[in-house]
Amino acid sequence: MSSEPIISLQNVTKRVGRKTIIDDLTFDVPQGEIFGFLGPNGAGKTTTIRMIVGLMSITKGQILIKGKNIKTDFEQAIRHVGAIVENPEMYKYLSGYHNLVHYARMVPGVTKERIDEVVSLVKLENRIHEKVRKYSLGMRQRLGVAQALLHRPSLLILDEPTNGLDPEGIRELRDYLRFLTRTEGITVVVSSHLLSEMELMCDRVAIIQRGKLIDLKPVQYFTHGSDTFQTYQFEVQMPEQAIAIIRRIEGIQELSISEDGLLEVTTEREQVPAILELLVQNQIRVYGVQKVRRSLEDQFLELTGGGQIG
Amino acid sequence: MVNLLLNENMKIYRRMRTWILVGLMAAFVILGNFVMWHENKSAQGDGWRTELMQEKERWTEQLKKSNLDEGLRTYYTERIPVIDYHLEHNIRSPQGTMWNGINESASLGILITLLTIIIAGDIIAAEFSTGTIKLLLIRPSSRIKILLSKYLAMLLFSMVLLLTLFVISFLLNGILFGFKYMDLPLLHFTGGQVVEQNMILHLWKTYLLNGISTVMYITIAFMISSAFRSSAMAIGFSIGIVFAGNILLEALQRYEWSKYLLFANTDLTQYMEGRPFHDGMTLSFSIGVLAVYFLLFNLVSWLMFTRRDVAG
Repeated sequence: MSSEPIISLQNVTKRVGRKTIIDDLTFDVPQGEIFGFLGPNGAGKTTTIRMIVGLMSITKGQILIKGKNIKTDFEQAIRHVGAIVENPEMYKYLSGYHNLVHYARMVPGVTKERIDEVVSLVKLENRIHEKVRKYSLGMRQRLGVAQALLHRPSLLILDEPTNGLDPEGIRELRDYLRFLTRTEGITVVVSSHLLSEMELMCDRVAIIQRGKLIDLKPVQYFTHGSDTFQTYQFEVQMPEQAIAIIRRIEGIQELSISEDGLLEVTTEREQVPAILELLVQNQIRVYGVQKVRRSLEDQFLELTGGGQIG
Repeated sequence: MVNLLLNENMKIYRRMRTWILVGLMAAFVILGNFVMWHENKSAQGDGWRTELMQEKERWTEQLKKSNLDEGLRTYYTERIPVIDYHLEHNIRSPQGTMWNGINESASLGILITLLTIIIAGDIIAAEFSTGTIKLLLIRPSSRIKILLSKYLAMLLFSMVLLLTLFVISFLLNGILFGFKYMDLPLLHFTGGQVVEQNMILHLWKTYLLNGISTVMYITIAFMISSAFRSSAMAIGFSIGIVFAGNILLEALQRYEWSKYLLFANTDLTQYMEGRPFHDGMTLSFSIGVLAVYFLLFNLVSWLMFTRRDVAG
């Protein structure tokens, strides 16, 4: 059913003592989406993820996974979830293979063939019988992915998965997540404080700060601005005069001069020819116009006010 | 549930540390038995008669003293008829046979306790201190089932150790003293007369009663393990409590209420030897007290393990 969200958070609140760590969080994630969970360190990403997988109790509100309540129907709800909660910590004194056997035994229906399949999927065939103690961080990450996929989950949860990965590993993981969402229809919830990562990986991004959801949009909205308003840079002869002139036009959202002397105007697309016309009429020379593609990082800093730790 | 138990067993037995500890225990048992065998040489063959007669003379001599300790007096007066029974009925004393060694090995049960405490103290705490708990608890198994599987794995482990101890001491003493006198009875003074008891039955009674105290120690270590979430703390605390508890007990013996203390009741062999910690304590009293502690400790473990958040 595509109409039913894979995961649904409803007014989720977490309090420890008097401190509210997560405040009234509500969002749904539909099937097949890669959903990013973005925020500065200490914003409550990890807490939220731990509540989703049942490692932490929920003070108020509820979390449903495929319609099953994680609190009251834990075994049914968690069955659909594969997760890497922070660094994948495995039993170092066991071999990679025995680690997988360990987790396979905990879910009904995971066969020996499935273990082998997952091992080859993460390309660990040659080293799987070695003790995890001897693995490199990248190999441990891959074993972490393997244990999360063993039972063919509908929902994959990754908490800061790129921590400690080299750029190559990050790209591999990204391609891999894309592959999984396309071929198996898996839904992914991924948290990170790395904005550039999220930009490349996610379909939708939620930004949280100090435990509150402050924005939730498709990732293009963050990077290209909204559909109607966009920012354009004008390279003009006399920016100060130009500002005074453009101010007369209606429908301008923002107007400023950038550090390198460019005029930045946030407005609707249809206003751009009008601006140009006006500048030319007033004898201001225009050397170039371009659309600004804002990075998620800019947006993020804007939204979180410089990204202090909440 | 069976799978969870298999998992816990895998984590115990596929680990070098476990086998080093078991090897250490085996080495202690072997060493202890060799020493006993060496000391017992004179009682082998027909030497037991002379040994017993000498012993009887010693005790008779001791009994003439007026300032003799009350406990020792009872022991000597009960021991002499047993010696007489041996000599009269021509039943050889266990001294100088394999049975003596095997019996004495039961006292090495403390090693089993120590080993089990180390593993039990670690079994929950280690999952937390290495972070593996996060991957363990996000599976379709409730926390209570995981806790129970760990507990059962510990009981199983202590049984394996108990069996190992028995097999090693049986074989070793058999080899050293020869597998002779298999049907030798054990003489015991009860109710004013000497009775013959089956040796193997007596042995297993000792082992099982020791086993009950081991179960109690496991339960304590288990509780501490789930409370502290750090292996070093859990192991250290558990061992500390066991030793401190027994020392404290000596100091508190003069108070009547000390009979309700856990450590006054853990050693059930005190009733087999007929020398309870306090007069008037009975086997069923101790079992009752132990049952209360047992439930209490498990309740705490359960609350600590299932109700708390996994953070950090």
